[in-house]
Amino acid sequence: MNNTLLSFTIAMLFGFGTFLILRRDIIKVVIGLGVLSHAVNMLIVSAGVFKGTKVPIIVGSSGEHGAADASGTVFNDVLADGVLAPVVSAGTHIEYVDPLVQALVLTAIVISLATTAFILILAYRIHEEYGTTDLRELRRLWG
Amino acid sequence: MTSLLDHIPILLIAIPILMAAVMIFLRSIPALQKVLNVFVTFCMLVLSVVLLEQVWTNGIIVYEVGEWGKYGIVLVADLLSAGMVLLTLFVSFLSLVYSLEYIEERSLSSSYHSLFNLLMAGLTGSFLTGDIFNLFVFFEILLLSSCALVVANEKGGVTKSSDKMEATFKYLVLSMLGSIVMLIAIASLYATVGTVNMADISVKVSAMSASGTLPWHIYAVALLFIVVFGNKAALFPLHYWLPDVHPTAPSPISAMLSGVLIKVGVYGMFRVFFLMFTDTLYMFKPIIIILSLATIIIGAVSAVGQTDVKRLLAYSSVGQIGYVFLGLGMGSVYTIAASLVYLVNHAFAKGMLFLTSGAIIHHAHTRDMDKMGGMIKSSPVMGTMFLIGAMSIAGFPPMGGFIGKFLLFDAGINEGFYIPIAIALIFAVFTMFYMFRAWMKMFWGESRDTKKYGEYSSHALSPLLTVPIIILALGVLVFGVYAEPLIALAQATAAQIVDPQPYIDAVLTRVVR
Repeated sequence: MNNTLLSFTIAMLFGFGTFLILRRDIIKVVIGLGVLSHAVNMLIVSAGVFKGTKVPIIVGSSGEHGAADASGTVFNDVLADGVLAPVVSAGTHIEYVDPLVQALVLTAIVISLATTAFILILAYRIHEEYGTTDLRELRRLWG
Repeated sequence: MTSLLDHIPILLIAIPILMAAVMIFLRSIPALQKVLNVFVTFCMLVLSVVLLEQVWTNGIIVYEVGEWGKYGIVLVADLLSAGMVLLTLFVSFLSLVYSLEYIEERSLSSSYHSLFNLLMAGLTGSFLTGDIFNLFVFFEILLLSSCALVVANEKGGVTKSSDKMEATFKYLVLSMLGSIVMLIAIASLYATVGTVNMADISVKVSAMSASGTLPWHIYAVALLFIVVFGNKAALFPLHYWLPDVHPTAPSPISAMLSGVLIKVGVYGMFRVFFLMFTDTLYMFKPIIIILSLATIIIGAVSAVGQTDVKRLLAYSSVGQIGYVFLGLGMGSVYTIAASLVYLVNHAFAKGMLFLTSGAIIHHAHTRDMDKMGGMIKSSPVMGTMFLIGAMSIAGFPPMGGFIGKFLLFDAGINEGFYIPIAIALIFAVFTMFYMFRAWMKMFWGESRDTKKYGEYSSHALSPLLTVPIIILALGVLVFGVYAEPLIALAQATAAQIVDPQPYIDAVLTRVVR
């Protein structure tokens, strides 16, 4: 159910973004690109979502997140036992969601921030030069 | 010294990024900036020669960033990567020397050096990385730096600022869409095989294919990669940004964009299809051939009608990249070697032609060929250089372009692709026509109407402008007269591309530290 909802949300975002980048107004195109890049970010994160797994964050020495299923004592550094968090001692088994996608999505977010900032400034300068935000007016290079 | 030599792959990426930062701090001392940037770029050129030599003698070099093995980012230098890096840095070095004179002092010291270094970092990084997500990151670096270089320089020149903005907007929107598509492809690929290391993906896709469980969406992912790299390389349905962007850029940047940056798309295509998706290649080879033929036709036909010299060269780039993709699409060792030879020759010739067109524009103060004429008297050096470039692009002996075209057509006929080669040959005649038409319009005939358009600029060209052009022209000539080393290198590279097993072994068989 949850994954269906997630997929549906991503699909809706892709739809909105595609609709917006086909508009004539420059700002709408830029917003559309932003929406599309967030849709992609969600798609990347959704590649690492599996049911019944824990988030890859260590919060406490016992309890739910990060603690061993059996004993609940693993995730503090216990040098005497040779345990360095988050290295799991022998015999324990925990299923996490994939942490790599979250590293990937961070990179993607930062990059989309930079490109969006650039394209917004470019849109502003185009507005200054052409006096319009209508993309159909940008036709000096046609020919 | 050996320790330094071991780190060449990362140095080639880290040095330009560091220099980009240093250049900002040195902006109040322009003379130091110039000397330092040229010196460092020359050192990188030497390093890349050493890298190619090492890869040639010792085989593929794998550099683990952070020593995480295949789970971290690996930089892989095989013959293709090292060769492309050498080509990139050679063209970059000459463009940089050229731009010291060409770009006006103010933007040179404030932003140009930094952005140029970032562009070089993006290019070497995308050639050297062995990680598909890292490839995306370097694509973005070179996209943003090239956009900024196109839009921010040469104020008050022949090209209006508004034209630059319009072209950059088109380029940026299309490239952002391209990167979004690339991220979709990477995400679905990662969800399927659980890795972003190219060699690892290759192993897993091959294993799935061998056991007959290759999911259908791998084909869709491969198609998305065609869109991404086709957009970068201006393949047919996505070519229309190039004739706007390349002419509006300052000439040294046009040389970088046309000479090297569109080759990133070709490189990506080689990596993705011949390393990762070798099992889907039977389906995509015909698609690539058809697209490349369409690219050749569109580029050649559109170039015939141009009156703007840089726009003509840009359309010619579209056509020529089609020939490179034609060799790629035919997909045997010989055709790939031919397309690599073609790629190198095009990089030299087109880089040189764009640099020459910059000098011509300096001389005539216009980009319109109708307003030029009879320049062979006032600018004989540029006339000779443009002729050498035009002969190479048109495929005349003894220039390098002849060797490239000859090998490509010979290889295609050997493989039995008669109709594609026939089409390519017909449009090669178009190439000849439009290149010589441009040359005759500019350099022969009546001198232009000086009452209407003003006198030609009389001041002599500085050696900083002419020497890079002459070096590139010598390269074009050498590749035509003594092509054997280049062909041998291209054939070894092509053998490595077609058989990715050494690459996979080099990346995955690591000593655990």
